[in-house]
Amino acid sequence: MTPRSARFLSVGVTAAILTATLAACSSSSSTAGGTTKSPIVIGASLSTTGSFSADGQAFKRGYQLWAHDQNKKGGLLGHKIVLKFLNDNSDPNTAVSNYQTLITVDHVNLTIGPFSSLLTAPSVTVTHRYGYALVEGAGGSPLVFSTKLNNVFDVSLPVAKSLQPLLSYLTSLPAGQRPKTAAYPTVNDLFTTFQTAYAQQVLSAAGIRTVYPAARLFQPEVAQYKGIADQVARTKADVVVLGSLDVPTVQAFTQAFVQQHYSPKVFVATAGPDQGAAYVKAVGGGNTDGVLVPNTSYLGAPDPVRNAMQAEYVGLYGGNTSSINADVYEAYSVGQVLTQAIEAAHSTSNAKIIAYLHSGATMTSVQGPVKFDAVGENILATPAVYQWQKGKYVFVLPSGVSGSVPIVYPKPAWGK
Amino acid sequence: MSAFMQAITDGILGGSVYALMAAGLTLIFGVMDIINIAQGILVVLAAYLSYALSVHLHLDPLLGLAITVPMMFALGTFIQWAFIGRLRGRERTAMSLLASYGVAILIEGILYQIFSGTPVSLQPYAWYSTATIHVFGFYLADIYLIGFGLAAVALAAIYLMLYRTKFGRSIRAIVQDRTAARLIGIDVNRVAALTFGIGVAVTALGGAVFGLTNTFNPDSGYDLISRLLSIIIVGGMGSIGGAAAAALFMVTSEELVNLWRPQWATAVYYVAIVIVLVVRPRGAFGRREARAQ
Amino acid sequence: MTGDATLAPLSVWTIAGRIGWPASNLLLVAALVAFPLVFTNPAVTTDAIDILIFVAMAAAWNTFSGYTGYISLGHMVFFGCGAYFTAIATLDWGLTGSGVFWLLPLAGLLGGVIAIPFGLVALRVRRHTFVVITIAVVFIFQQMAYNFGVTHGSSGINTPVFNFDPATYNNPFYYVGLVIAVATVAASWVIRRSRYGLQLRAIRDDEDRARGLGVQAMRVKIGALAFSAIPLGAVGGLYWLTTYTIQPPYAFNPLWDLTIALMAFLGGLGTVWGPVLGAVLVEGAQLYFFPQTGGSYLYYLVYGGLFLFVILGMPRGLIPTAAELIEKVQARLSREPPLAAAVSDGEIDAEIAGGTPAAVRAGESA
Repeated sequence: MTPRSARFLSVGVTAAILTATLAACSSSSSTAGGTTKSPIVIGASLSTTGSFSADGQAFKRGYQLWAHDQNKKGGLLGHKIVLKFLNDNSDPNTAVSNYQTLITVDHVNLTIGPFSSLLTAPSVTVTHRYGYALVEGAGGSPLVFSTKLNNVFDVSLPVAKSLQPLLSYLTSLPAGQRPKTAAYPTVNDLFTTFQTAYAQQVLSAAGIRTVYPAARLFQPEVAQYKGIADQVARTKADVVVLGSLDVPTVQAFTQAFVQQHYSPKVFVATAGPDQGAAYVKAVGGGNTDGVLVPNTSYLGAPDPVRNAMQAEYVGLYGGNTSSINADVYEAYSVGQVLTQAIEAAHSTSNAKIIAYLHSGATMTSVQGPVKFDAVGENILATPAVYQWQKGKYVFVLPSGVSGSVPIVYPKPAWGK
Repeated sequence: MSAFMQAITDGILGGSVYALMAAGLTLIFGVMDIINIAQGILVVLAAYLSYALSVHLHLDPLLGLAITVPMMFALGTFIQWAFIGRLRGRERTAMSLLASYGVAILIEGILYQIFSGTPVSLQPYAWYSTATIHVFGFYLADIYLIGFGLAAVALAAIYLMLYRTKFGRSIRAIVQDRTAARLIGIDVNRVAALTFGIGVAVTALGGAVFGLTNTFNPDSGYDLISRLLSIIIVGGMGSIGGAAAAALFMVTSEELVNLWRPQWATAVYYVAIVIVLVVRPRGAFGRREARAQ
Repeated sequence: MTGDATLAPLSVWTIAGRIGWPASNLLLVAALVAFPLVFTNPAVTTDAIDILIFVAMAAAWNTFSGYTGYISLGHMVFFGCGAYFTAIATLDWGLTGSGVFWLLPLAGLLGGVIAIPFGLVALRVRRHTFVVITIAVVFIFQQMAYNFGVTHGSSGINTPVFNFDPATYNNPFYYVGLVIAVATVAASWVIRRSRYGLQLRAIRDDEDRARGLGVQAMRVKIGALAFSAIPLGAVGGLYWLTTYTIQPPYAFNPLWDLTIALMAFLGGLGTVWGPVLGAVLVEGAQLYFFPQTGGSYLYYLVYGGLFLFVILGMPRGLIPTAAELIEKVQARLSREPPLAAAVSDGEIDAEIAGGTPAAVRAGESA
């Protein structure tokens, strides 16, 4: 009876395909050697497509730049660095699967972090299982550290108190100059909510009245932005702390504020203005003046490594130092920290790297000094605030530190 | 009180942009029983076309419409001929949803390949993108007023076409009864193809305004289509006036909810769909339940 | 009830089918059970778990949408609720070991329970409106997950560290996934052959007529929806366990509904094995090709192209189309017309261009 043939067909085909597919998956391996002078393969899951694609691609450049520079210096303990990237499409499930593949199929020697806390948190769990260290630069929300696993090391600033220098600055202004009111429009996302809530807590305690609360979250959908921005403009707040994730949000708010002829004295966004050229192009050069954004700092004397890295990046990709996306620094720092750990431990074994990174040693990076606490946060990461001044992206707070430039306050009018 | 008025104003102006984008979608559904999920990404594509013209030819995005509208029309006709028109069978509407999703993914991939994921905007290429007129203490953004005007013009044009031209009569005949229309000699396939083309051509207008009021990247299509779909369902699929009214109503309601709890604004949006569809499945102005399956 | 093949002469195929069919099924299940013991690489097991999750989802979805003809794009509601339920219960009850697997049937039941009011609201309308309502409900649940405290909003919920042996860590999850997938496919098969399944198909072919014949349409539809929701709730929990985290846009991801629909269509909508084949092919391909694409967007083009190819070129799906091909080859070989067994009530699908009654049967009973 012919329908049976269809059934044999289906069962047989299913079984065959299942086996074939998975056998194929398991055979795509590139063993990395452990013997001298064979390359060291470092694996990472990066979001080259999906909602984090802009950041993922910038991150990739940062990693590649580091690997290139380190190879020029002889690689890691004499081994050439080879990077292996898998695309996770900004999806945590795929990121987990990617690290699993990198470790057990591609047998990479080391792993480095993906972009965003969303993807980093589950990646920590899977890399921990195989004893791999995960040095990362883009997962700083409490979500990542709440796993309490010992193999995650975030070289960048933990996000919760990133606005501290600005908050200290504003609350320390004399009464005549201090702003009176503040608005905290915030996108509903795990990256933003902690930051603006903390800002509201500090500023309102200092007497700056909240006219648009941080708790009034809105969804990260473009259709929402103009309406919310218009409502914020209506409050005529002196300070606007925008809890944003990306350039589109900041652009929408900027455009709405310009249309409403509203220019707050302080306009700071948690992300967006740190994306360099992408931000300037979207918003229009004249509108960037005076806008602030928090970021990890480099404090202290000018860093030749940082300068060299910037020059190299500009040479490869054009623009100027202000057009470099903050993600590039984060990724580059990950590589630097990994290098220092390997060189200090004289080994590429993950156990020794983890032990060294937890030993309380201080390391350097293009984002400043790095030292990890028990859960993997960089306790030396000092929050700093940057500002766009006449088309240049400069470090302004904390003030009085070598390398900082006086902050422009209040923000100049919107230009064009 | 003025926060309330601000919300209403934003709702009407913002809603008109959505009406513009939704008009084509509802026309396509009304005539062809096709749910074109690709409409969202087509708006984004149109925005990218305007962007490319602005960047490389330094054309003002609105002037560039003279080029993008015919281009989108051609694209729409092509999509209809190559993909949508080949759907057969009773399950055509559900299948059209899946087929147009396939088209949407293709277009998204092509956009990513050409433009990458970096968000861009038309705002810097139009000197009037931040200009406003000052009326009753409100600043009304020129670009939204232009959007409102374009929407009104486009909708009026479609209405006139439907009710004053022979072609429009063929369309209405097909909407009423496809088989009978064929029987009286209307070339249904040709009319359908052209209607699809028109529906997509309208997105060129929507795309330009969308690009002028937002930053976008290839990922932006998803948020758009979920809203557009909601609008045409609530307005009544096939009804141009319904789409316009629904767009205005829903965006305004959303703005009003924003005054209270913005994080619920989007949920309210979708709840509205469910309520409307359960109470009146044909939508506010739908003529009747589209052909039962 | 249907004019079955009892009157047809026994052919080699029939005998082979009667013995071979259950045997081949058992063989398949045995192979799947042995699978992680043979292919021990954990990355392979992880991929296998992903495939099993999609097999269960596609097969369950098909049990409703394939059999009743109501294309639902709202099944992620059940998936997401199952995922969050499992997450919240795991943390609340401090589960860190195999006890966590007992939550999955509960998660499934939760899905089934939610399906009832869902169905009561959504199934009162005709099919194209139904589709849109289901999409809307997914978004509503997504928004609720963002805004209710119990789901921890945008931060989501991480898994605790489980105490499974690291050497074979993925295996317990694999077996649980296998149980769910096998149970779902088996149930789908049972339903199909039952009177209940017949009622579903009657509704698909002509609901008004079915009602006229005495089918309690609303009750039957809601039952099918609730039944199809159970596996989704369960694999939602399994997804959380194997992804180590859950957030609203991933718990209630409308795009996955489209993916599941594609899988069912690809394999053969309304057949038992079709969704299984579709899930294996699509998810297998996705797992294999996707991470390799790096910065290229070739993946989108392939995926979109596949979608179009399936919907336009093979709307009945692989299995029925392949069965028709085999049928034609056989007919040519034996040089006699295919057996013209009776076609059951309400199964006449006039839209199959050039299809024979045998092809209809092949499509229906595969």
